[in-house]
Order: sequence, then structure tokens, then C-alpha cells
Amino acid sequence: MRNRNAAPKPEVVLAQQLVFLVVLLATWQFASGRLIPAFYISSPSDIVAIVWKWLADGSIWLHVGSTIITLFMGYAVGALLGIGFGLLLGLSPRTERLVAPFIAALYGLPKVALLPLFVIFFGIGLVSKVALVASVVIFLLFYATLAGVRDIDRDIIQSMRLMGARSDEITRKVRLPAILPWIYTGLRTSIGYALTTTVVSEALSSNRGLGFLIEYSASQFNSAGVFGAVVVLLVLSSVIMIPLGMLERRSRPTRPSR
Amino acid sequence: MPVLRLVHPEPAVGPTEARRRKIGLEKVAVDFATRGKTVRAVDGVTLEVPEKQFLALVGPSGCGKSTILNMVAGLLAPTEGTIEYDGAPVLAANTRVGYMTQKDTLLPWRTVADNIGIAFELRCRKASAGERRERVAEMIDLVGLGGFERHYPAELSGGMRKRAALARMLIYEPETLLLDEPFGALDAQLRLLLQQELLHLVERRQMTVILVTHDLEEAVLMADRVVVFTSRPGRIRATRDIPFERPRNAMELRFRPEFSAIHEELWNELKDEFAASIGGERGAK
Repeated sequence: MRNRNAAPKPEVVLAQQLVFLVVLLATWQFASGRLIPAFYISSPSDIVAIVWKWLADGSIWLHVGSTIITLFMGYAVGALLGIGFGLLLGLSPRTERLVAPFIAALYGLPKVALLPLFVIFFGIGLVSKVALVASVVIFLLFYATLAGVRDIDRDIIQSMRLMGARSDEITRKVRLPAILPWIYTGLRTSIGYALTTTVVSEALSSNRGLGFLIEYSASQFNSAGVFGAVVVLLVLSSVIMIPLGMLERRSRPTRPSR
Repeated sequence: MPVLRLVHPEPAVGPTEARRRKIGLEKVAVDFATRGKTVRAVDGVTLEVPEKQFLALVGPSGCGKSTILNMVAGLLAPTEGTIEYDGAPVLAANTRVGYMTQKDTLLPWRTVADNIGIAFELRCRKASAGERRERVAEMIDLVGLGGFERHYPAELSGGMRKRAALARMLIYEPETLLLDEPFGALDAQLRLLLQQELLHLVERRQMTVILVTHDLEEAVLMADRVVVFTSRPGRIRATRDIPFERPRNAMELRFRPEFSAIHEELWNELKDEFAASIGGERGAK
């Protein structure tokens, strides 16, 4: 007799998932205009039509491109600054103790509240959005890096020093390899927050980007446009997140990080 | 049994020859501050270790034996008194010693082989990749870690990590070894084997050794001189020269009547201190 608990084959699971999706979409299509007004839930066929129209006239690429650029610029700036400050304060505990409560207070602040300030500083456009995304990422990477620096085993450093290692050799062979896994983790977790912040900043103060497209479509009472932009965003976030998830599975703490 | 290839073979010498002072502690005292109280861990310790001597420190736990090793290694400054090494005061990390602490300090992201060979990656002990590989293979053989070269420390048992740490220290043959319970986590048979291997190496390389242990038998088997410490604060209670010949056969030595006599003599010194240390801990609670 076959084991009831045995995991089904991957192809079978995939087929089941496809059937589930088709049933879901068919139900949605049927309900739209019959059970619930299309004004609220649009319909899969309308959504496909509007996404197809955006693709055909190329207008969607302006928004996708803007979202990607904002996301990665904000992510890169925030990550660099966060790692930099994390290393700096991690290696000078006295300063860290001094500024820790201020950093903690700023970390707790919802960063979206800073957007009007950034708009005053930098105007509506790329820079204020990048600043907002960076302001979110910087804290996540700062705390990840700081935790990594604190996690360095003092006994290991002393043993290396007794072995005759110079300060730069200890940095290269002990400090950096010990911190790297923490930075990886920080980079992985903060990309999701960066994407969220990007979309919010576009919706609040921008004239392009997927967040703007959602907000704009809603203001026109165009529910198909809202859903269409969400679908495009869904595809974009999947394209960004799935490779990161695979990376996460591959990196084990015991593996050498050289 | 694997035997280490020697870089500079030299004849073994006996324990009785007069030798230069290698390590000197002069009226050393150490205070630690814990929970707002100052606790004296080591008090009035004056101790000389001649070059090439194998010295064992025994005493109840918490008597400051490890503290003394930390000071000789230059990781801790005494509250009072001075520490000298080769006639000069120890003021910074002492790179002339190899120090095996109780807690192993292997790098968790490096394999066993890469951990053991790390000393030869440093500028001050640089060796070619080929030579490094050869020496690492010898050390792995010596400590019996064959087959685990590509494992990470987290994948090893406590005893195996101890052996890897021992190999990492012995590979660059420091002139002085500071050993803090080096065989603590090992099973009895492996302990015997490694004690004998360490004796071989120390005798032939003429290293100066300070061994901290709470195992009196281990101390008498291996050392030229045994110092018994009191319970906290650690003071020297008794010192005994161990007259056995070099090179020694630790396996055979433990069955000799003289061995039992010395063991008993030192045990009589030590047992009061163990009782005192347990009583002291009870009293503190």
C-alpha cells in the first residue's frame, strides 16, 4: 500500500495549483457585474485588456522603470550608509553609546512622515523618493551590521593576536567574515521594505511609477487600472524576491564567506 | 602512533639542569569587580618558570589558574606585582606563547584544515600553500582528525574541537605553551594518547610549558614541577618537583609506586582546598 503521507510529485502539485488559479479567475470573471458591481472588483478580462494596452503603447515602461530606479537607488544608498555607520559605530562603542537612544527614536519613527520634508528639500521627483527609501533601508542595515560587529568573538581576536596577526589581518580574516552573514541577512530582509516604501512614495508624491499608477487610476475611478497596476507590481516584486529567496536557501552560517 | 616531523631536532634534557628564567611572576595579585564588589582572585603569587620547564598548576576551580595564564599571555594586567617574560615585563599580547584557552577559538566559517593552517597565512609566519597543506596534514594526523578536514567546527564534537585547537597552536611550534585544561573534554583513551603526543613534542622541541589542570594525575604524569593553589583567593599552597626522567612514558609511569606516592602526597595538599572551595561556594549562596 502506498504511504498516504508521501509528498506528491512536483508536476502534480503544479497542476493542482494551475487548476486552483483557473477556478479563482473564472469565479472572479463570473461574479464581476453579476454578483458584485464591476466598479468595485473589475474583472480579469478587463485587467488583461488594460495591461495589454499599456504594453502595446509602451506607456507602462515609464512607470516600471521609475519604480525600479527608485527602488534600487534608495536601496543602494541606504545600504551603503547603513553598513558604513554600522561599522563606524560598532568599532567605536563610546560614540555608539552616546547616539544609541537618538538612533532608536528615529528608527521607531514611521519614515513616511518624513516624505513632506524630503519634498521640501529635494522637490517632487526622484531624489525625494530615493531619500525616503534610503531612510528606511539605512536603519535596517545599520542594526544588522551593528549586531554583526557585536557578535564578533573577542576571544577569537585575542587568540589571533597571540598568534602574531596584525590589526589588518584580524580585520580581513576575522572581523569581515564574521560580519558578512549579518549584512547578507540585512540586505535580504530590507528589499521588501524598500519596495513597499518605493510604492508608497510614488503614490503620495510623484507623477510616475507603479505606486503613482495605482493612485492615479483610483482617482479616475478606473478599477481595472488599479488592478492592472497591482498585477504589474506583483510580477515585478516576484521577479525581485524569488532570486533572493533562492540565495537565502543557499547561504548557510557554517559555510565559508570568503 | 603518528609522530610529528621535527623542524629543529634537539636532544631531550632532564629537569634538573640549571636554566635561565623564562617566565617570572613577582608578588602578583588580581582583583575583579563583579556586581559592584571587588573580589581578589589571585593573591601574592611569586613564581618562576625556568626555560624548558614543564610546570603544572593545579587547584580547585575559581582559584585563578586561568587568570595567571591570561597574564603571562599579556591579555590581562595584574592589579599588583609584575609579570616578566624573557627578562622583560609583559605589557601587551605576548606573541611568543601559544595559548590554548578552555573555550576553543576556532573560526566558525573555516573548515578544520583551514583553521589549523591559519598561522601560516599570517605575514609573520608566512608559508607557501604547498608547505601549509603538508604541515596541516601532519597535524591532523597527530591529533587524530583524519577524515574531518573539510568539516566546520559546528559539525564537530567538543573533544574534536579541542583537538583542532591544539593542532592549530602546535603547528607553528611556539617556544612556550600555555595550556588551559587542554584535554578536559576528551574521553579517557584519547586523553592518554594526546598526553603522550604532547609530551613527545614538548620534550623534543624543548618547549616551556604551563599546564593548568584540575586533574592531579595528568599534572604529575607530564610536569617537571607541580604547583598547588589554594581556593579563592588563589595563593600558592605547595610546590613539588617531579623527579621522573625525560623522555617520559606516560602510559607506563602511572603504574609505578613512586608515582602513586607523589600523587598521594599532592592529593593531601589539594583535597583540603577542594573541600574549602565547595564550602566557600555553599557559604556564598
